[in-house]
Amino acid sequence: MSVLGDVINWILSLGAAIFVPIVIIIAGLIVGMKLKDAVSAGITLGVAFTGMSMLISFMSGAIGPASEAMLKNAGINLPIVDGGWTTLSAIAWSWPYAFAMFPLMIGLNIVMLIINKTKTFNADLWNVWGKIFTGVAVTAVCKPFFGTGIAVAIAFIVAGIQIIFELKMADMYQYRIEKLSGIPGVTCTHKMGFTSIFMFPIDCLLKKIPALNKRFDAAVLKEKIGIFAESHVLGFILGILFGVLAKYDIPAILTLGIQASASLTLFPVISKYFMMALEPISTAISAFMNKKFDDRTLVVGLDWPFMGGANEIWLAVFWAIPVTLLYSMFLPGNEILPFAGIVNNAIAVAAFLVTGGNIIRMLILVTLFAPAYLWVGTIMAPFISDLARSTGAVSLKAGELISCSSIDGPIQTYAFSHVFKIMEGEFIPLVLCVIFVVCFIALYKYLGKEEAEGKEIN
Amino acid sequence: MKQIVVACGSGVATSQTVASKVNRLLKENNVPAEVLAVDIKSVDRYIPSSVAYIAITKVDKEYPIPVINGIAFLTGVGQDAEFKKLVDAVNA
Repeated sequence: MSVLGDVINWILSLGAAIFVPIVIIIAGLIVGMKLKDAVSAGITLGVAFTGMSMLISFMSGAIGPASEAMLKNAGINLPIVDGGWTTLSAIAWSWPYAFAMFPLMIGLNIVMLIINKTKTFNADLWNVWGKIFTGVAVTAVCKPFFGTGIAVAIAFIVAGIQIIFELKMADMYQYRIEKLSGIPGVTCTHKMGFTSIFMFPIDCLLKKIPALNKRFDAAVLKEKIGIFAESHVLGFILGILFGVLAKYDIPAILTLGIQASASLTLFPVISKYFMMALEPISTAISAFMNKKFDDRTLVVGLDWPFMGGANEIWLAVFWAIPVTLLYSMFLPGNEILPFAGIVNNAIAVAAFLVTGGNIIRMLILVTLFAPAYLWVGTIMAPFISDLARSTGAVSLKAGELISCSSIDGPIQTYAFSHVFKIMEGEFIPLVLCVIFVVCFIALYKYLGKEEAEGKEIN
Repeated sequence: MKQIVVACGSGVATSQTVASKVNRLLKENNVPAEVLAVDIKSVDRYIPSSVAYIAITKVDKEYPIPVINGIAFLTGVGQDAEFKKLVDAVNA
């Protein structure tokens, strides 16, 4: 046993770019991939980790000094580097227990389908990392109280609870999503939707104001301002802005603009390699699930982009950019400098779901909830950085902190993972858990009624 | 090699899943084309150089190239029919 333990520790010590590919080659062979395809997927994943690490070093090398200069010149102290969701997913996949989340998610889904407690088959196997990330957070919070072994066990229990809530959420929104997107047979299982649970009571209040129920055409506006949200242009604007606030001279400002633009443009390019490596596994699992429930009509749970035809989502995304930047400078308790995570689809999709696409109420909700993303990004930074450092998923200098300014479903992730802080007398996460459950049930009933009445959505 | 374009919110997750899957199907069927995953905000830049657009969203805009239903590749429902449409677009 101790020999096995030594071997595992030795493999882990090689770093994420080595051990995660080894795990995926084994996982690939289990789901029936050919050896050469499995090896190819494994090496691709190693490339993804290495590329990500290079890019983050480059990005923090450009943004870090600017952030320090901003502190000196403008008094803005935002030491945490924002790597965006792609960085967060890379770090999450490097968690040694990450791949065990696949069987948990599939197993729970099968059980829920068999006992008829859901009609959703979650095909979004990429976003297993959202469950992994919750597990990472739970482990970090619980370890000081219970030790590593029990903390990891609790992590999987909490992740399991999240998986069940995701399926129930997908069930309850399916009718509304079909009406809004015009696409039948699919729903959204992504935990970004959990923020809509907390938005629900506020949206109920907003609906009472008649002026907020008007509709307007979002398409024209989107066409006009869309270019500013393209990665290369947005990165350039942010770099210039940081350079100005840091009081750089003009050549340095322009250089920072291009470096920031290069970072934002290259993040998706490198992240694609994660998807390429994991796609054969998720396809194999999907095929298995489809065969198993051949005789039943299921709705398929997907990531959010199939709703991306809604111009309202994009307007809310664009709106969130300046709002988040302003908050980051003045919000007490925020320490993260929004950068790679600044395009916050998660908040826009949550607002879209809960309002049914009412753009005015969406913008109000985005404004009210944007601080949650900054606060949770700040709170989670220390253990995200610890994990990154211990697995070598991304290279960080001593004392450097990395996080994401748009963690999906931040309030729920914080509440679920930090609830154990009650051991230290901190009760806010517990209160948030209670609010989550109460509002979830209320929204579930509300949406059930909407479906039963066959209501048109706006 | 002809180019096919697929788009999602960031050009990373959903679109790359579809791209990898369709690329595999194209290779297995010896179809000389390659799928490129892009950010939906930039998709118009890639339309002129592509022979087909695999859309994950409902499309209400007119495009000069055939639009293929990308949801089919995510759910598996109607996948064969959409893939045939894609092959026809490549061979056209």
